[in-house]
Amino acid sequence: MTKRLLEVEDLRITLQAGSGTITPVDGVNLALGRGEALGIAGESGSGKSLTLKSIIGLLPQGAQVEGNLRFALGDESPIPYTSTDVHGRGISIIFQEPMTALNPTMRVGDLIAEGPRIHEGLSKTAARERAVELMRQVGIPAPERRAKMWPHQLSGGLRQRVMIATALSTRPKLLLCDEPTTALDVSIQDQILGLLQEIRINLGMSIIFVSHDLAVLGELCDRLAIMYAGQIVETGPTDDVFTKPNHPYTEALMTSVPSFDATSVKLAGIEGHPPDPRSFPPGCRFSPRCRYAREDCTEADFELVATDADRSSACIHTEVFAEGGR
Amino acid sequence: MSAFLEVRDLTVTFRVGSALKARLRGEPPPDLTAVDGISFTAERGESIGIVGESGCGKSTLAKAITGLVPVASGSLHLDGNPLTARRDPATMRRIQMVFQDPSSSLNPSLTIERMLSELLNVHRIVPRDAIADRCGELMELVELPRSLLKSRPGRLSGGQRQRVGIARALALEPEVLIADEAVAALDVSVQAPVLNLLNSLREDLGLTLMFISHDLAVVRYVSDRVIVMYLGRAVEDRSTAELFDDPRHPYTRALMAAAPKFGVKKAPGESALKGEPPSALKLPSGCRFRPRCPIAEEICEQTEPDLAGPSPIQRAACHFAWDGHEVRS
Ligand SMILES: Nc1ncnc2c1ncn2[C@@H]1O[C@H](COP(=O)(O)OP(=O)(O)OP(=O)(O)O)[C@@H](O)[C@H]1O
Ligand SMILES: Nc1ncnc2c1ncn2[C@@H]1O[C@H](COP(=O)(O)OP(=O)(O)O)[C@@H](O)[C@H]1O
Ligand code: SF4
Ligand code: SF4
Ligand SMILES: [Mg+2]
Ligand SMILES: [Mg+2]
Repeated sequence: MTKRLLEVEDLRITLQAGSGTITPVDGVNLALGRGEALGIAGESGSGKSLTLKSIIGLLPQGAQVEGNLRFALGDESPIPYTSTDVHGRGISIIFQEPMTALNPTMRVGDLIAEGPRIHEGLSKTAARERAVELMRQVGIPAPERRAKMWPHQLSGGLRQRVMIATALSTRPKLLLCDEPTTALDVSIQDQILGLLQEIRINLGMSIIFVSHDLAVLGELCDRLAIMYAGQIVETGPTDDVFTKPNHPYTEALMTSVPSFDATSVKLAGIEGHPPDPRSFPPGCRFSPRCRYAREDCTEADFELVATDADRSSACIHTEVFAEGGR
Repeated sequence: MSAFLEVRDLTVTFRVGSALKARLRGEPPPDLTAVDGISFTAERGESIGIVGESGCGKSTLAKAITGLVPVASGSLHLDGNPLTARRDPATMRRIQMVFQDPSSSLNPSLTIERMLSELLNVHRIVPRDAIADRCGELMELVELPRSLLKSRPGRLSGGQRQRVGIARALALEPEVLIADEAVAALDVSVQAPVLNLLNSLREDLGLTLMFISHDLAVVRYVSDRVIVMYLGRAVEDRSTAELFDDPRHPYTRALMAAAPKFGVKKAPGESALKGEPPSALKLPSGCRFRPRCPIAEEICEQTEPDLAGPSPIQRAACHFAWDGHEVRS
């Protein structure tokens, strides 16, 4: 791996839920190199958004966080940080729903100019010029005119570009992307992915991209981490994971969605549905839905174990699985 | 013989903006043409996919066929009988729709059993004393345990709710089922079973299925035939196999290029389809795809191409769709 930018060690997030507590993120480890793009795949509720929010310090009030987060603000190795260290300085985030993430009472240009004004002390005019420049950079046509518009006057695709411009305005080293294309048409998704790839390469930025869509992650990411029920169950280089998944859940995810290029073999899907954090199954959390499950799976302690030089899996029966099951 | 479902020159308009302001300016009141002269036919048991970008009129087309929005012009026939704006309940029953968001279309305060029973009762589908049995059968049909009949929608998972939505549509014993983004809101792991369910229902019940989605891969999985829509028009109508093998409309080709594919890395700044569709209130002259079309020529600015081709299911609305092209029969 290239020089490290971010390390997440044994991250555990506990939240109030009704009368009890839940731990929807439960022992997550991640490492990200400079300039690298990491994809986190998982279904809704698996804890992807909470993981990203904890990295940038945007967790909901009352959330309890355990574990270690380290980030390299300068050229040295990653060190522990607080959200005020990185917010507007090293890490930015973009979300799925630009309409709820963008302040509706501010003009688009002012929204984008806010970061540079606060963090770099730019004058109003200079910040506004920077905003227009950023809008041009993210491919917004007629940026001078659109800078004076309100968020609700823009299409979903343009709003997403505004959010990206806002995120870039503080020149981050790491861009967190929380399903930024999920609500968009394939055509606009394709444009945004092309834009993110361009930004990443031109600005040498690192990216963590979260999505339930493996094919989308594949278009952008060097490495993948597969998340299930608050835990990372497999990691590895994208192409390796696609060619030969090392965890039954990854395999199941890949055979759940119709592939664009292949005609219909019957899709398998997965029995049941993703578990609720109020009642995660004991042992391997995927066991109730796993077609390879054995008796000892429900007693297995969670551990993400290296399977190859660059890969890891939390399945205790990778041998069975590698042979294609019973 | 006439086709089972026949849609001819179907146009749906919505009044937008202020009619008063327009009248003061001496202009006609602004109308948005959401579906603009669509014609196609479907046979009994056929499965037709409808794809296109957001706002191109897919849902409006579905609602017009179902009778949920009024038709501005054109005609609809089912089994040779005209479908008019005011349909009697018996006709309404024959075409049913399943919506994207199962939770917002189910009454949260009713148990599944109450909901299905009331429907069966109001439409007098079965005698009163057979209603309980029928509820059970419907649950079986959509592969849900009968025990869930006593639950309210809030207790169900997204996939289960969508199955209930399908059961509700099937309760009325429709001949045409229109699924509008029926799996878009579901987790990826539970989409496949719902798609498989739709496929088997079509076979078992001989339903005509219209499957609306923005996801080409999903459409390919469930459809025999695909209609590609752009700005209210059908721009390509082909058998699924042919469409994916050899798309003839530049818009279809771009949509396919834009779809994410396993193991293909995105090139920086690259995209298959530039810009966004213009507003339906400000259509470009000539071919409506022209501003985004990579191969547009002068004629495209002057003349709007017809949806045409060698056969009713080999049609594309592009001046150059069939140039130098020999169509296999
Ligand atoms: N009730 C309405 N009043 C005014 N305009 C409407 C109405 N319903 C739809 N439209 C407009 O008609 C056009 C087609 O909308 P429609 O909902 O049919 O698109 P769609 O293809 O289903 O899009 P999506 O993929 O987003 O569901 C759009 O321009 C939309 O804004
Ligand atoms: N503010 C919150 N309060 C209580 N529970 C929450 C909160 N935010 C998220 N959760 C729960 O935590 C789990 C993981 O959520 P999230 O990280 O948003 O998942 P994902 O992004 O993978 O869909 C879910 O079960 C969700 O309901
Ligand atoms: S540990 Fe057992 S249940 Fe879990 S993924 Fe592996 S085989 Fe399946
Ligand atoms: S008619 Fe012209 S503008 Fe329209 S799709 Fe064909 S080539 Fe492009
Ligand atoms: Mg999320
Ligand atoms: Mg729609």
